[in-house]
Amino acid sequence: MEVRLLDKLKIADRVFESRLFIGTGKYASNEIMAGAIEASGTEMVTVALRRVDIENDNDDMLSAIDRDKYLLLPNTSGARDAEEAVRLARLARAATGTNWLKLEVTPDPYYLLPDGTETLKAAKVLIEEGFVVLPYINADPILAKKLQDAGAATVMPLASPIGSNQGLKTKSAIEIIIAQATVPVVIDAGLGSPSHAAEAMETGADAVLVNTAIATADDPVQMAIAFKKATEAGRGAYLAGLAGQSRIGHASSPLTGFLRNDD
Amino acid sequence: MQTLKINGSEREFPAGQMPQTLSSLLDHLDINHATVVAEIDGQVVKRNDFAETKLNPGQSIELVRFVGGG
Repeated sequence: MEVRLLDKLKIADRVFESRLFIGTGKYASNEIMAGAIEASGTEMVTVALRRVDIENDNDDMLSAIDRDKYLLLPNTSGARDAEEAVRLARLARAATGTNWLKLEVTPDPYYLLPDGTETLKAAKVLIEEGFVVLPYINADPILAKKLQDAGAATVMPLASPIGSNQGLKTKSAIEIIIAQATVPVVIDAGLGSPSHAAEAMETGADAVLVNTAIATADDPVQMAIAFKKATEAGRGAYLAGLAGQSRIGHASSPLTGFLRNDD
Repeated sequence: MQTLKINGSEREFPAGQMPQTLSSLLDHLDINHATVVAEIDGQVVKRNDFAETKLNPGQSIELVRFVGGG
């Protein structure tokens, strides 16, 4: 019997075999980060831009990432409004030579929730300038639709607040986003365990982006492998079509023909 | 004294000793050209242009590079 293999993901003009994207923050060392990236099977990793510490210059971490194997997705983390995000985006493009960008505008330092109004504003400017924009957003179906209509390459709704590891708290809104999506839906932020990633993929997400759950695990490399398997399992289950749920039990074995006289 | 604002902090140079180009400033600060991104008064400077980019006193210079992030 022919088994249908997992399908590929296309974002803008690029095809991905892996539906797991990896963030590079919070790793104990560049070596552990590189090991986790490799083990995850990912093809795209996020990075952030920060001021060079003039007095105490540490060389950058890019040397630990094989640019031939992994597409860099610079983010605009730290931006509090559209103007700052656009400025960071232009710097990132100068630094990477690529126009791919994870757009995030998070003015609230406590919950780190994204500002949808400023994100949409920045997205329109950046798309006009030729950026491939992957916006990080609240699980807001109306905003997701506005962004995809504006030309965003994906929409990336959060599962729960960044780094919170709470899992898919926004599931019902994400189901609506997926139902109306014309671009890939990437679940970003809050996925704390492989089962969360599998659930997101089973729900019909096109990919997941994971950082904290892998980087801060006791063994990030082992955790990266676990997330890889979970992401693949979730996608496979989605493609296979999940069996329906019901309130009562339905026997898996035949109920008739047992060794009894009243059948 | 001539000053440049570098990553938000004023830096003073005795007259005649301020680096004349972005390249020479990076050398002066011992910063790897290959991994840094620069902005002068809000305008991004391409890495290939570092050597030809002249500096003027009073300019505001941002020097950034990639760090780990999600």
